[in-house]
Amino acid sequence: MIDFTSTPIILIALIGSVGMLLPVINIIRKDRGSTSFYGAIALVTLIVAAGFIAYQIFTDNVASPAIFSEDVLVDDTFGSFFAIVVLIVAILTVVGSFSYMRNQSYPAVYFSLILLSSIGMILVAYSTDLVMLLVAWELMSIPTYVLAGFMKKNPSSNEAAIKYFLFGALSTAIIVYGISIAYGITGSTNIGEVIVGFASLDASMVPLGLLATALFIAGFGFKMGLVPFHMWLPDAYEGAPPTIAALLAAGTKKVGFAAALRVIVMGTIALNLEWTFALGIIAIMTMTVGNLAAIMQKNLSRMLAYSSIGHAGYILIGLSIAPFSSIGIQGSLFHIFNHAVMKGAAFIAVAAIAITLASTHLDKIKGLGRRMPITSIGLVVSLLALAGVPPLNGFWSKLMLFGSAIDAGSVVAWAPYLAVAGVLNSALSLAYYGWIIRKMYFEGEDEKRVKEPKSIIAVMIFSVIFMVGIGVYPDPFIQFAGTAVPSLNISSMLSP
Amino acid sequence: MSNELIEFVLVSVALLAIGIYGLSVKRNAIRLLFSIEIIVNAANLNLVAFGRFIPNSAGQTFALFSIAIAAAEVAVGLGLIIVAYRMYKNIDIADFKSLKG
Repeated sequence: MIDFTSTPIILIALIGSVGMLLPVINIIRKDRGSTSFYGAIALVTLIVAAGFIAYQIFTDNVASPAIFSEDVLVDDTFGSFFAIVVLIVAILTVVGSFSYMRNQSYPAVYFSLILLSSIGMILVAYSTDLVMLLVAWELMSIPTYVLAGFMKKNPSSNEAAIKYFLFGALSTAIIVYGISIAYGITGSTNIGEVIVGFASLDASMVPLGLLATALFIAGFGFKMGLVPFHMWLPDAYEGAPPTIAALLAAGTKKVGFAAALRVIVMGTIALNLEWTFALGIIAIMTMTVGNLAAIMQKNLSRMLAYSSIGHAGYILIGLSIAPFSSIGIQGSLFHIFNHAVMKGAAFIAVAAIAITLASTHLDKIKGLGRRMPITSIGLVVSLLALAGVPPLNGFWSKLMLFGSAIDAGSVVAWAPYLAVAGVLNSALSLAYYGWIIRKMYFEGEDEKRVKEPKSIIAVMIFSVIFMVGIGVYPDPFIQFAGTAVPSLNISSMLSP
Repeated sequence: MSNELIEFVLVSVALLAIGIYGLSVKRNAIRLLFSIEIIVNAANLNLVAFGRFIPNSAGQTFALFSIAIAAAEVAVGLGLIIVAYRMYKNIDIADFKSLKG
């Protein structure tokens, strides 16, 4: 039975209805411009939604994290955690878009699509049935295909949208095929029943279970940007408007991990504990390829896109050692939270550069520290946080992830190698982040200061306070991530 | 005529193979889109066939959702392809190479 006072239902009613109404208001008002009017409506909606979730968490109205439920949606802290992450990213994107969308056409449609995509992302995190998961997954993806190609007159935006769409549609097709096999061998589409069915499979059926899990890794891996499913990602992030790249890198990618935790990690654990080794291998490949390719890039957006591939690898460390270490998933969730803010801030700083300098090529950012001081400080702090420099927030989550990998070494011999790979990759990433910082402050002639977009200054100030604040005092956020960690014990479900 | 599960699954696997062949060989955006649709339909056939033999209605319900979603996706995809055609007068994805790194 659906409880109409549960968090996800109220969020659907709030964000969904405003998202649907924005284009209608646009038609009634018969205007084409006024970005700030529609942006303000979207911003207020998102802030109200975030406040509502925070209220629900603080008044303990949210159930403890349950991966499984008999309903299609479950109102638990795991979902609420991801909903908070998504809403923070959506708020950063909308505020950044006030400047970016000025003088662009169709602002109402733009903000409406951002709202619809955010409600899709939130529902993915709450869903406990494969039907709901697929519907929410598509509600998240389809608006972002349009948003990536929103600059219709710009060839690279167009090309990015087509590449993103073709790979996104392929990933959906793979997910549907995986679901069909999972349904065929377990007889249910409820995630809990599928996982329990996996755990009690007939030995002759186990290969099919592995095939279904592999298809899920491929399907969800496209959105998460795991190697070898990452080839569309740099093109899409570079060509799309930078504000939308922030939404993709910080939002849709993180939500992929929510789906991965519910389906892939639980599926591999149910089939055979040893198979999380495969996730470890993908983690190492992903972070190495991402960071090595980032060094060679000449474009700031593209470099950040490769760096976000690398970070997907770090997050996957926690998922692959989940059954062996108690803080693995907590570290992953904390890094998801941090990376969402860091990468969101970095891409919105890129949006400011794209607005004022009309290019994001690395040669153009020489002397940026004197031209756009506030944007530069925001970009520098987020790059250092991405590299994991203490005392910024990225340091703590990386410490938790690598620490949990070493911790798990007492159970499985391969786990410490994940930590070694992670530390080496962090050092590597500091090289190209340092190169950007060097170009911004120590190269170029005496440039004059230019006017910076106001709304982006607001985003920069907020995210710098956020990153430094969590870095100095991380405890409450680590605990918040800890409350969202679900129990991985499948055997307790088998014996009711 | 026998009427067994394995026959439906074989047809579905054949459709999957056709879809993968199309994706790896063709370079026309619309052909790629249709190859993806063939894969989705292979999965739908699987779902309906499994639903008949398990037996419960969840598979058919899922197939209906999946068909509706695929329709929405194709609508957006064709829109994007039309915009690209207006710009390039061509929908060969091998010609889309302004983004390289």
